[in-house]
Amino acid sequence: MKKSIRRNAFIAFCILPSLLLFSLFIVYPTINVFKTSLYQDSGLGNKAIFIGLENFKAMFKDEVFYIALKNTGFLAATTIAPTLLIALFFAALLTSGKIRYSNFFRTVFFFPSILSFVVISILWSFIYHPTMGLVDSFLGIFGVELELPLLGNKYTVMWALAITMIWQAAGYYMVMYMAGIDSISREIYEAAEIDGASSSQQFWRITVPLLWGIIRTTIIFIINGVITNSFTIVRVMTNGGPDRDSEVLLTFMYNHAVNANMGYAMAVVVVVFIISIILSVVSNRLTGEHAVEM
Amino acid sequence: MRSKIARIIALVCMLTLVVSLFAGCSSKKEQPSSEDTNTTGDTEQVDKEKPDEQAEKESDTKEFENKELDIAIFQGAYGREFWDALAEKFMEKYPGTKINITANPKLGDMIKPKVVAGNLPDFIYLNVDDPSGVIKGLIKDNALMELTDVFNSKALDKDALIKDLILPGFLDTVFCTPYGDGKIYGAPYNYGVMGLWYNKNYFDKKGYKPPKTWDEFFALNESAKKDGRALFTYQGIYPGYLEEIMIPALYSAGGQEAVDAFLGYGEGFWSSDAAKKTLEVFKKIATTDNALMKGTVALNHTQAQTEFMQGKAMFCVNGSWFEGEMQDAPREEGFEFGFAGVPAFNEGDPVIALVGIEQMYIPAKAKNPELAKEFLKFVYTDEGIRLNGEKAKAVLAVKGAVDAVKEYITPSAYNCYKAVESGMHPVVGSFKPVASGSKINISDEVYKPFSSIMNRQMTVEEYAEKMEKVYKQVRDELAAQGN
Repeated sequence: MKKSIRRNAFIAFCILPSLLLFSLFIVYPTINVFKTSLYQDSGLGNKAIFIGLENFKAMFKDEVFYIALKNTGFLAATTIAPTLLIALFFAALLTSGKIRYSNFFRTVFFFPSILSFVVISILWSFIYHPTMGLVDSFLGIFGVELELPLLGNKYTVMWALAITMIWQAAGYYMVMYMAGIDSISREIYEAAEIDGASSSQQFWRITVPLLWGIIRTTIIFIINGVITNSFTIVRVMTNGGPDRDSEVLLTFMYNHAVNANMGYAMAVVVVVFIISIILSVVSNRLTGEHAVEM
Repeated sequence: MRSKIARIIALVCMLTLVVSLFAGCSSKKEQPSSEDTNTTGDTEQVDKEKPDEQAEKESDTKEFENKELDIAIFQGAYGREFWDALAEKFMEKYPGTKINITANPKLGDMIKPKVVAGNLPDFIYLNVDDPSGVIKGLIKDNALMELTDVFNSKALDKDALIKDLILPGFLDTVFCTPYGDGKIYGAPYNYGVMGLWYNKNYFDKKGYKPPKTWDEFFALNESAKKDGRALFTYQGIYPGYLEEIMIPALYSAGGQEAVDAFLGYGEGFWSSDAAKKTLEVFKKIATTDNALMKGTVALNHTQAQTEFMQGKAMFCVNGSWFEGEMQDAPREEGFEFGFAGVPAFNEGDPVIALVGIEQMYIPAKAKNPELAKEFLKFVYTDEGIRLNGEKAKAVLAVKGAVDAVKEYITPSAYNCYKAVESGMHPVVGSFKPVASGSKINISDEVYKPFSSIMNRQMTVEEYAEKMEKVYKQVRDELAAQGN
């Protein structure tokens, strides 16, 4: 009896520092977010007024909120699947052993994901530059001249931003998948080869099902990543422009937070939080049945 | 043998890592250059022993109960050297006082938690439009100390009231009297002059004259086209820069009345003649061939300004800081900064320039307001003016300051300021604060749609209609608050 109490006490003692930090830096701010969203709060310490759900009511009438919601949804829809598919494809390709210098390619593909987001945003601002950018020069070869700049045209701006985000993220997930594939025993592939399976069949029938656990996890990561990283990309490349056509939920939130509307901004955060959770739960359910253990 | 060496190397590496962790604990020495302080802020204790000679001279300066002053300085293009130097001089003159300076490029974000905790500095130099929104919030929350008494008092080094030293009209602007009730809450610091810029060298060579009216401006489009450049560009993703045209043009079209209606959310403003005339200018820029430089809407400020300096556009809007800001930027052969102000509508009317004022504040909950006010008065002494020019390369909003600091500022900046002094009419203005708790960010609402206008995806009529609705909402919110 004594021993188990001592042991439990010891375990509690070891956990305590982490628990403390966790509570202080994660639990407390989260509770604060939910609390502040119910107040009219300038965020500067002066008299926060309790207004209940008024912030949320105002948000659902705010047309910029819907633009931001639409844009964030657009980014999710256009970057999640392509990023993961590209990552999966290159992971399989580079681990198949049939590509020379695969280490070099792995480094090159992974490189964008370690660059700072501000650097990436500025880099792509110049790639999309209306007169001296790579894209403009490239289109010039075919004699195509765009009337409006890519980042200044409400019909193309979100697509341009989506491409930047795919470019940034694919390498990161590719490396994760490569690690996963490495753990699949070679013998399975050899057996399939002997049975006459083509590379494509091997990919879809062996690699993907066995990686399914990892793929499910990366889906949750990338949902989070899209929402979080869209902030820097939008803020630096377009500042929400033209005329708020590239606002995303986080830039919308930020603009209100610095405009002394902290309560309203926190209400947006609550909504983002709920959306995030719903997306994760839904994607978990949808991808739950196909797991294969080997 | 091999593994022993490997273990020693591993141990050394680990020790290096551990020791380097403690590098962050070293106390920071005072670094006068402004490039260093871009991560953490320094709270400096600039404490000085007074030399004995000074003690006898300064017996006529006031004695203060609380001798410690906390000042917070936004460390932007003007750096922090001015404040360090001024504080030193102040502590010499007022023996026994101690000034603690917190200076940071991200001052707004830095002092926000202090503000929230109720631990405000005694004196703040930070503009109302700082992205952190700290000053905007303090104004909305009525958390600033009234400074009218400071300006009604005698200057420290001459026989005049401080308010008479300030350039005319500045103290009446919304920067200084945010609530429109005549009470001063913001003290003017530096001022900048804004308007259209052109390449003086290019104009002289080609024999072009800077436009005095909008008709002359658009007439230059023909010449621009022949020379292979667009007429105009601006800082695309930051359409707020267009206020440098908007406000002066409104002034030219409808006088101070129109400007006040614009900045004060006047009813029916957007269907007024002044508004219509002004919006016509933007419509013309958007719809006339060659008027707007290609790709403008997507460019950030550095890109647009560089394109202008490389001769891709004839005119660009910006302020007196232009030359200093772009000193390392590439430019076309022989480029010279020329300031043209903003053209008038009627032949014979003066050209106009938008003037912006930087601001200093004292929070209502400052712990040492007495000393803070004395320090504020000290800023406006001749010494302060000169130091500001020397260290910050800037011009205080005080009469005669421009010539006092001529040697310290760029030639183009000097010309800007002199232009205002010699005929170019200065217009000052900033939006009146919206109701506290309002979700409307008025400068976003007014200027962001210009991207759509320039893209020809919105007509100026649609814009005016939209703005009329926004203005009504602002008025309603202010009325509900009792304003």
